[in-house]
Amino acid sequence: MTSTSQKHRDFVAEPMGEKPVMALAGIGEVLGKRLAEKGFDKAYVVLGQFLVLKKDEELFRDWLKDVCGANAKQQGDCYGCLKDWCDAFL
Amino acid sequence: MASTQLSDEEIFSELKRFGFTPGPVTENTRPVYLKKLKKLREEQQQRGSRSSKTRSSGSINSTAGDGSTAASRPVSPDVTHLSSSRRPGRKSSVLGFSSDESDAETPLRRKGLEHSSKANRSSGFQKQQKVRPLPTHNAAIKVQYGGGTRLNSNFSPGSDGQRSVSLGWGVGARSSLDSEGMHYDESADDDDCEDETEKNSCSLNGRGGSRLNNNKLVGEYSDSDEEEVGGFGAGERERDGLEFRRGHRIVPFASHVVERSSQTEEKNSEVKPLGGVNMVKSRGEVEAEDEAKRRDLDPSGGSRSNRVPRKSIYLSLAENHGGKAGENNHVDSEDGTSRSNSTSRFSIGLRPRFSNYSSLSQTFRDNHSNHTPAPNHSYSQAVLKKKLSVPEDELLQQFKREELASSSSFSAHYLSMFLLTAACLFFLLLGLMYLRMRGTGSSEMDGTIKSHPFGSDFDSSYNKGEKDVILKLLLNLHDHLAFIAGQHDCGDQQHPNRSLSMDEASAYLLTQNKEFEGFIHTSLEWIIRTGQDLGIRLTGQVADDPVTEVSEISRLESTHPKMPFQCRFRRAFLTVIVRVLLIAAVVGCVWSVVCYMRYRWRKEEEETRHMYDMVERIIDVLKTHGEAYQENQDLQAYLPIPHVRDSLVQPQDRKTMKKIWDRAVNFLSANESRIRTETQRIGGADFLVWRWIQPSLSCDKTSLMPSKVWQGKAFPLDRRNSPPNSLTPCLKIRNMFDPVMEVGENWDLAIHEAILEKCSDNDGIVHIAVDKNSREGCVYVKCLSAEHSGKAFKALHGSWFDGKLVTVKYLRLDRYHQRFPQAQGCSTPLKASSLHMSSPMNTARLQYYGSANSSGFS
Repeated sequence: MTSTSQKHRDFVAEPMGEKPVMALAGIGEVLGKRLAEKGFDKAYVVLGQFLVLKKDEELFRDWLKDVCGANAKQQGDCYGCLKDWCDAFL
Repeated sequence: MASTQLSDEEIFSELKRFGFTPGPVTENTRPVYLKKLKKLREEQQQRGSRSSKTRSSGSINSTAGDGSTAASRPVSPDVTHLSSSRRPGRKSSVLGFSSDESDAETPLRRKGLEHSSKANRSSGFQKQQKVRPLPTHNAAIKVQYGGGTRLNSNFSPGSDGQRSVSLGWGVGARSSLDSEGMHYDESADDDDCEDETEKNSCSLNGRGGSRLNNNKLVGEYSDSDEEEVGGFGAGERERDGLEFRRGHRIVPFASHVVERSSQTEEKNSEVKPLGGVNMVKSRGEVEAEDEAKRRDLDPSGGSRSNRVPRKSIYLSLAENHGGKAGENNHVDSEDGTSRSNSTSRFSIGLRPRFSNYSSLSQTFRDNHSNHTPAPNHSYSQAVLKKKLSVPEDELLQQFKREELASSSSFSAHYLSMFLLTAACLFFLLLGLMYLRMRGTGSSEMDGTIKSHPFGSDFDSSYNKGEKDVILKLLLNLHDHLAFIAGQHDCGDQQHPNRSLSMDEASAYLLTQNKEFEGFIHTSLEWIIRTGQDLGIRLTGQVADDPVTEVSEISRLESTHPKMPFQCRFRRAFLTVIVRVLLIAAVVGCVWSVVCYMRYRWRKEEEETRHMYDMVERIIDVLKTHGEAYQENQDLQAYLPIPHVRDSLVQPQDRKTMKKIWDRAVNFLSANESRIRTETQRIGGADFLVWRWIQPSLSCDKTSLMPSKVWQGKAFPLDRRNSPPNSLTPCLKIRNMFDPVMEVGENWDLAIHEAILEKCSDNDGIVHIAVDKNSREGCVYVKCLSAEHSGKAFKALHGSWFDGKLVTVKYLRLDRYHQRFPQAQGCSTPLKASSLHMSSPMNTARLQYYGSANSSGFS
């Protein structure tokens, strides 16, 4: 990862607790709303999905795209964010 | 692919057979794994092995699992369709000149799938990418001649129009003979040729190709309607070209080009001095021969110029053609009309490729018409025009136009520079000449003066000698006066006076020539008599009085001072400089004023934006404060303005934001109706305060959140997360609400309704109780029988309701009755009230959306 956004750094800095899904890097208002509608209203729920997919990048990206229509950059950001978080805390 | 028939376990095992260990295949991950399976299968097929779609062991799907996945199955094909439909879009975008993003994306995602089909396209695409920065005329040409022969299509893969034509010509000839799909060879060749290190091989290619092609051209020409080529070998023709080029360097501007080309020739020459023989021969030849020769000249020139460094290739090529054109013109003028015939006919361009060069030469001829000899030029033009009735002229016209564009794009830089310098030089010369003329004047001092402005009277009054004398006298006088005036103007100290007094003038004239003496007065009379300005001004005693009598003349002055050249030049130069500076100053002033205005305007806009931003923040603060006040009456209803400011604006910004703040305050007091500005006494000091006077609207915030709706299932129910059979008829549902957050009076009824809706197919619910005080949001449900409760369990467990994940447990019947004794007597199934009949559609839809998955929830 060359450079990370502020959002990414903020997320990975501490346990996610009850952070909303919009706290994930790459997930803004629109995507967050879509995810929340599908039931992924908290970041840990998305983390759950990430773990269920065995932290596989391609699968997670595909899934993210299917569920909320994220583009490649957003997918990458979200994946990287969760991956780093897992590396740090899991 | 029968994805709909694959169950989760089957997908799981299929993926495992590919050596890929998947995570749990659930509602959410199913589409993802399906895609992966597809991809793996296709890869396998490409590897040549057929993957059998054998279902592995008969999977035991729990009924619950089936029920839920059946619901979800319609989704997955849609999803895959969606994703697959998205892919072609991306694929097609690669074909054209797509952006880099899609390029980066596609390799990442679907390498295997588009593997074979993309191979061709990608290479073609890259080819096109390389071509793109180059002059687009190539593409245009290709478009035009796309339907034409294969040779024509060589243009597009070529790196640069001119050079590649010569190369592609040779290459293309070979490829035309080969199969159709030799696109890559051409591009490969052109690729090679783009490197400077491989120029030799390229030029060899071109040369060899040209030789090759000549023989083939015969065949090709015979195919088309064009005239036949003579049987000249390529080498001879090239030599002819060399000879021509070397022999004629008349055209000045092309001379250096010619020298350059001749240098390159000398470096790489295989010249044989056939010279005169060939010239004679060519003169006597049929037009076709000349044509063919012309053709060879051009490509050989092109191939030769390959050796020159790349940048100059364009120039040398372009000017080679120009040089050739010039030379051709001169050659023609020397050798007669045959050459011009050939060039003109050549320029009609039976072969479109060569019309390329012809049009180039045409353009150069047009551009440098002032250098080429006029008669030949006009003649060739005439011939050209006559011949334009040939059917291909339309194509030629278009071709020429593009070639014009191309050539100009190549040599535009040099051409424009040259023209600019030429113009500057020209004007400079003109100015100097003018100055010189004005300064020095005519030097016909001693020559007889033929013309004089005195009219016929003068001629009649005096005889010739006298006339001469008078005129000479006047001329002398004029010159002397001019000289004096000039000296005076130039700051020469010898002559403090610009004018000459009468005596001085006479004295001077006498010194010049004794004969003048008698004629001084008469000549002055004549000056007075004629009203024109002869360059001598006569002034009387009193200045500015018109002089009518010779006796009144006291001073003579020249009106056309004659200054030495430097003086003149210096004065002119100074004047020009001063004027230019003046204009520059004026322009600068205007421009600075404009800039300043723009800056001010931008500043204004920004400030207004800041102000509105501040206003919004203030309103927010006041609103929250107002609402807080409503809830808690201990606070004050108003907020002092300075306090608001200090809370919104950082201390370091306060000075800079002061203006914005004031504007915001004014705006609020003028335009905002929900805030009232008052003066209040707080703690003994008077403050201007703001009071929020809008009654709080009933929560617009909560309307955003979905309230009391079912939002789909988190995970399908199968053996792993639900008991295989329903145990009791009683259920405890957790996490349906949050007692703290609930507002209103009848929210528990809403929950009743919601549950009944969810289990609308289930007619067995007899009692629902909402435990309002439970922290976990528990709802107790009793059903008619275990079977009914089992159904309800499946419907409710793991669903999302109001943003919360609902879980269900079986409760022992006796415990239930302990808790809710009134439930013991219930036996009538409850129905959802008709009020909610409209919304079941929405909730039903929501149920079918894919949703989250949480593992191991129970």
